[in-house]
Amino acid sequence: MLATLPGLVVCLTKVTQFINHYYKNMNYNRKIKIRLFYGLKKALRVMKITILILMIALSCVSARSYSQLITIKADKNTLTGLLKNVEKQSNYRFVYDKSELAGIYLADIQLKEASIDKTLNLLLQGLDLHYKIFGDVIVLRKEKSANAASQQNEHILKGIILDEKNLPLAGANINLKGTSISASSDTDGKFTIRIPNGAAGASLLVTYVGYMVKEIPIGEAADLKINLTPDLAQLDQVVVIGYGTAKKANLTGAVSTVDLRKQENAPVTNASQMLQGVEGVYVNQPGGQPGRDVATVRVRGQGTLNNNNPLVLVNGVEFPMDNVNPSDIASITVLKDAASAAIYGSRAANGVILITTKSGAAGSFQVNYSNYFGFQEANYLPDFVKDPIEFMRLRNQAQINEGRATVDYSEELIQEYEAGMRTDPAVYPNNDWFKIIFGRGAVQNHGIQFSGGSEKLTHLLSLNYLNQKGAVMGTDAKRYSLNYNTQAQISDRLKVGGVLNINYKDINGPTAGVANLMEMTFKAQAFHPTYLPDGRYANTFIRTPGHNIYRNPLVLANEGENNTKEQQGLVNIFAEYELPFHITYKINGAVNKGDDQVTKFVPDIYVYQVKTGEAQRVPYDGGNPANRGLRKTSSGALNTTLFQTLNWNQLFAEKHQVSALLGYSREHFSDGNFYAQNEGYLGNDLYELNAGSANPVVGGTSTAAKMISYFGRLNYNYKEKYLVEANFRYDGSSRFAKGNQWGFFPSFSAGWRLNTEPFLRDVNWVNELKLRASYGELGNERIDLFRYVNLISLGADYPFGSNVSSGAAVTNYNDPNITWETTTMANIGIDASLFNNKVSLTMEAFRKRTTDILQAVILPQQVGALGGPIQNIGTVDNNGVELVLGYQHQFGGLGMQLNGSVTYVKNKVVDLGGQVIYSGRKIITEGYPINSYYLIHASGIFQSDEEIANSPSQTNNTKPGYLKYQDANGDNFISESDRQIAGSNIPKLTYQFNLNFNYRSFSLNSFFQGVGNVYTYAENIGAMPFWFGTSVPQDWVTDSWTPENPGARLPILTTFEGSETENFRSSDFWLRNAAYLRLKNLQLAYDFPTTWINKLGLSKFRLFLNAQNLFTFSSMKDFDPEKNLDGSTFYEYPTVKTYTAGINLTF
Amino acid sequence: MVYILWIGCENDLTINPSDQYSEDTFWKNQDEAMSALTGCYRILQGGAGVNWFLETDMITPNGLAYNESNGTDAIARGVHNSLTGLITNRWEVAYRGIGRVNAFLDKIPVVDMDADLKARASGEAKFLRALYYFYLVDCFGGVPLILTAPDPATQSLLPRNSKEEVVEQVLRDLSEAAEALPKSYSAASDQGRATKGAALALSARVLLYNERWAEAAEQAQKVMDLDVYSLFGDYRGLFLLENEHNPEVIFNVEYQLPRFPHDFDHMIFQLNRPAPLKSLVDSYLMTDGESIDVSLSFNPARPYENRDPRLLQTVNCIGYMYNGQLTQPSQVVTTGFGLKKYTIYTDNEAKAIVSPNSSEINPILIRYAEVLLTYAEAQNESSGPDASVYEALNQIRQRPSVQMPVIKPDLNQDEMRIVIRNERRVELAFEGIYYSDIKRWHIAEEVNNGPVFNYKGEVASRRTFDKDRDYLWPIPADQIQLNPNLEQNPNWY
Repeated sequence: MLATLPGLVVCLTKVTQFINHYYKNMNYNRKIKIRLFYGLKKALRVMKITILILMIALSCVSARSYSQLITIKADKNTLTGLLKNVEKQSNYRFVYDKSELAGIYLADIQLKEASIDKTLNLLLQGLDLHYKIFGDVIVLRKEKSANAASQQNEHILKGIILDEKNLPLAGANINLKGTSISASSDTDGKFTIRIPNGAAGASLLVTYVGYMVKEIPIGEAADLKINLTPDLAQLDQVVVIGYGTAKKANLTGAVSTVDLRKQENAPVTNASQMLQGVEGVYVNQPGGQPGRDVATVRVRGQGTLNNNNPLVLVNGVEFPMDNVNPSDIASITVLKDAASAAIYGSRAANGVILITTKSGAAGSFQVNYSNYFGFQEANYLPDFVKDPIEFMRLRNQAQINEGRATVDYSEELIQEYEAGMRTDPAVYPNNDWFKIIFGRGAVQNHGIQFSGGSEKLTHLLSLNYLNQKGAVMGTDAKRYSLNYNTQAQISDRLKVGGVLNINYKDINGPTAGVANLMEMTFKAQAFHPTYLPDGRYANTFIRTPGHNIYRNPLVLANEGENNTKEQQGLVNIFAEYELPFHITYKINGAVNKGDDQVTKFVPDIYVYQVKTGEAQRVPYDGGNPANRGLRKTSSGALNTTLFQTLNWNQLFAEKHQVSALLGYSREHFSDGNFYAQNEGYLGNDLYELNAGSANPVVGGTSTAAKMISYFGRLNYNYKEKYLVEANFRYDGSSRFAKGNQWGFFPSFSAGWRLNTEPFLRDVNWVNELKLRASYGELGNERIDLFRYVNLISLGADYPFGSNVSSGAAVTNYNDPNITWETTTMANIGIDASLFNNKVSLTMEAFRKRTTDILQAVILPQQVGALGGPIQNIGTVDNNGVELVLGYQHQFGGLGMQLNGSVTYVKNKVVDLGGQVIYSGRKIITEGYPINSYYLIHASGIFQSDEEIANSPSQTNNTKPGYLKYQDANGDNFISESDRQIAGSNIPKLTYQFNLNFNYRSFSLNSFFQGVGNVYTYAENIGAMPFWFGTSVPQDWVTDSWTPENPGARLPILTTFEGSETENFRSSDFWLRNAAYLRLKNLQLAYDFPTTWINKLGLSKFRLFLNAQNLFTFSSMKDFDPEKNLDGSTFYEYPTVKTYTAGINLTF
Repeated sequence: MVYILWIGCENDLTINPSDQYSEDTFWKNQDEAMSALTGCYRILQGGAGVNWFLETDMITPNGLAYNESNGTDAIARGVHNSLTGLITNRWEVAYRGIGRVNAFLDKIPVVDMDADLKARASGEAKFLRALYYFYLVDCFGGVPLILTAPDPATQSLLPRNSKEEVVEQVLRDLSEAAEALPKSYSAASDQGRATKGAALALSARVLLYNERWAEAAEQAQKVMDLDVYSLFGDYRGLFLLENEHNPEVIFNVEYQLPRFPHDFDHMIFQLNRPAPLKSLVDSYLMTDGESIDVSLSFNPARPYENRDPRLLQTVNCIGYMYNGQLTQPSQVVTTGFGLKKYTIYTDNEAKAIVSPNSSEINPILIRYAEVLLTYAEAQNESSGPDASVYEALNQIRQRPSVQMPVIKPDLNQDEMRIVIRNERRVELAFEGIYYSDIKRWHIAEEVNNGPVFNYKGEVASRRTFDKDRDYLWPIPADQIQLNPNLEQNPNWY
């Protein structure tokens, strides 16, 4: 995007010119009140200049022509803005004290080819300013006269505009009601407005985007302090929609926006977490591994059996949310219904998330710095039996209970251990491995942002650094991000801009992987030693079946290397040109490049048995290579996007607002990877590929995909009262066979703003009332590539003798006829804002039907045990309602805000052509949610041998205390045919609410999230007793069946391995209710009074304390209900509680 | 402007995969066809061959599984169900192999390649298909007999064929394979391919398992007449890495580090899995040719002295040298016995412990001693204990490293049957044969029902075997769900 070399030379000249120009305008007169801060300011200025140069280099285009005649046609503008306009048209340059001109706001100025004198006289008319022309420099100064205003029959009113937290609001509009006299507030929130003397009894109207309009009667006071209250409905808010923006009041589709103010300063480590709290959006945060904490996002339920992730676009281009620095985000819009999303056609069926990164604004140069420090710790750990003696006895008891002939730990061993613990803790340790491996991980984040600009050129640069140590030993991550945004108005017609988002992550994890470390930590018992007294890693002398080879977790966490370096960069440039007839042409090109390099070194580490000193190598499971060796993997993806739009917007007869959009887009996706592996290293220290000498392995591949799209929108409203809109997209995708590649996705919507009707205009308590309805079709193409053709996979190699022979085989059966999955969505909604905007309300009902749903069909294995084809097999409904409610009130000095939303989505398979699809514990069948659990029903616990004898046959090992199952098909035998549908892990109900308070400069914000009617299957670690050497939760000590405790909740204690086909066969006994309510975020903030901090040269100084995941209410006690509900084990990387404190300052 | 908007409108969306062939572009030349055949062999590593190999002996009184992997011990204890890992795995892997062979045999006629090679390759494929169907029949009885390239439309709902139909097809494939295959391969890079001997030996085994005695003996005789195979002198050495592809090997599964590893060393030595049971150890005769119950030379205080040398060449016993040290009880905790076959470790040399999944010795699926034993058993059953039966058995007993006394003369058919069965058990211990043997001899409900013992004679585990149910495994329930035409085996649900 940078200019070529000759261009650069021109650029540099312009840079010099521009800087000179800029400095003329910079305010040198302001006295620096506190010398102490001089140095800091100077440093900032140096930074400002650096940024400036950077910015200009990127946006270096200029086409200025000077004439001494000036034309101005402005509706509302600041005086300084108008002066700049004059500078643009002439070669005059103004010199003035910025503070004297700040806040002066002029309405409705019209000049045509006027002389400079005429211009200035008009501009300064009624202002206590006079000018003097020195050549082409004009000096503006305030009148000396103290009573100048009264002489002119006016008086000056000063004031300050503050938000609900007493922070200054810059750019608020202050208007003398019923006149064209206006002013706007400066960066310190201050304003000056001149009031004609006859206007006593009049009032000021203060308006600010996102805040409620406030009317202040003009009294005697010369200084006004005006606090604005946030407007929940934010009807004037402009929201980002597909390929454009729209006024929220005029929306006809279901669109949610993220209230970023609520998220400010929260220790959000991944942008996906910011979607928590958006109505209709379900965000699941399954684990807190640094660098790998992307949340699962579902918009309005689960519509497909394939990829359910919404389409994420950053500044209009597909980009992983994972790689956006949360503090760079300016807005997030979620397009939920067909009307709003159809313009993204075939990828929009799961909803669309539009992220815009921050850009600069005209006005004074600003620097914002924020940080937070804190720590993270595991949120949920099970209450396991940890005492070594108790563990051994319990496990023995479990084996006796299940009828084993032998037990694992002999009585001699237990007694030896009990005695040894007192005398020789090196050989007989009592370790708490949870305390060893799970700890507090420090987190720190620093962000600095420079922004500013003029009417013609705005810019923003932000840098962010995040450093996280994990709550699990051996995990950490650093993230560096840069966001640069510049936009230039080159001429009245041409606007260009560019955005650069760069993200670099450096992630370390255990060499054998997190899953392996977690498993081995749970398998390590108190008797598993850490180190020998001489510091070498120790090995146990006790053998535990299921955990025969002790993989000392300290070795797994700390030895070797497993490092991932990820870079992702998005370069996005656009040009916008105003054509005649109110048509705007926009072209936008973007390159999105993501790369990562994984370095994995498996070392040779030995553990030494505590008694004999015998050495044993620690195997690193689940990783290549198996021996000491290195594997380096390099992957890269390059996506390019080019889209062009024509936009037409016209108001006819001041009533008919018509706009139209037409666009064309091409996208190309390619990715590939290669790896190299080597073994034969001399030690654990030196491990480049070159240093190895044995068994080299290489591999790699690449793929590509294409999309071509045409899209459009037609929008009409009558006096902003009746609103209608139509969208379409015609998408072509390379994922399908020729003939099935193209799909057409239209949508229609309409709205009616009842409050503009005469019958409601005078109803005081209704501020806004809108009805809307939409209908449309969306597509889903997100299946694997090349699923339309039978492929011969390579890699089925086989070594004949000394020679490896290349092997090929069909591994998947594919269906050439597959095509788009189509989602038809109907939506109706009501938006209301009532009682002086104190109460806001949105209700939506939607019906989302996905037809031709693409599903991987499982084939009977007799057909070559092939992976099944993806086929368009059926229809799934997601019907639901959403309710959003907001309320705010000011109780004297205490402000309170409550916003909540509830979403209820019912997922149901409507039509599968009579098929039933089974996969493991789940079933897809008509009339039930997708992937419902399909399990045998556990009806109780056997109390006696007679009961077993008189019950349907289970296995011949069934004993009293074992689970009793229901013989659903009545064949007197418990088998897989007795399974029944039992719950689903797709939540039906999600809800969330914010409860915020503010009092003087303090504010307390809380965010709660809850999920209802959702189930998950408990298995493996922590759920199944003694699963392959793990321990058992305390419940099994106190609440499992014994002849003395026949009413226990749990069956008799057995090991998982010993009764896998009895107690631990798949049954609904292990299905857990995963409903929860969680305090996700709690923040206490204090803003220092502006009067104090102004003395320090600051405009904002906030201190805050933050806690995430502080409380959870759930029936799941040992396990995090927010875990990955589809996971194969209860213990993946734990979710974390995070506590942070930090500051946020603006210069 | 319109021009700019629609620029580059060639709407070609076709992208072809860059690392895979499509079915239309494949099957053009010899290299492609041969790589498809390689894909058929690859299945041997995936479960049909190796995973089976050590597992099934742990369902017999030969061995005990120390942990629950694959559900092997659940089957041994009779508490398995149709979704037990070993059962579903056998069904899946065998059919995957069958599907690949069927695709190969469907396409090979049109491939432009050397005619001799085409015939041979077809023979190899048929051998593999026979092997995979044989594994299915042995476990499940009759199964759907599918002989054409995978096609969901026509094959998904096919019911089970009778066991006899499948066996007939197995024998037909093997006889065609035997016709087409060479006696041996000259190139080292062809080692591991199916041979005429392999096809004949497998058909001898299939006939034996189906009690078609005379035919079995006849097929075994053909292998013996090939004059390609002979017993390897050192019984322990037969299973060592350095002696791969020795003249006793008829068909094995090829492994090679680093890309094609298995886990035998780690599993057998470190995990003590499988752990031999006392019943197996007791079945080794004394060097005088008598059993320990009868022989006067048996000393219960030194029970492993004066035993058939194959005992200490197969089993690692406490107090004896192994891997350069005296074996301690803590090294063989499961039963007090460890297995030596198929590890790299030897008695007197101390070798470094092998990491998990770092072994490469080729498991032998068919070897010449089995052919001799098949001959002996089939001949004894069809015509009685004639001289050729003695000859076959004595060859095995007289192996240089074994040197057991020859079989007592003048045994009747029943006495000879006892000798042969014990010889089979001992010679082929932990080679994936004995589970089939106790089923086809209909003795499983006797020998695998009740307690099994460790070296001290203490109960190590308890077995159950339901004679009305457990001679066949259940068809995996998920397969019946997908294809309701599959009929479940008796007394399974």
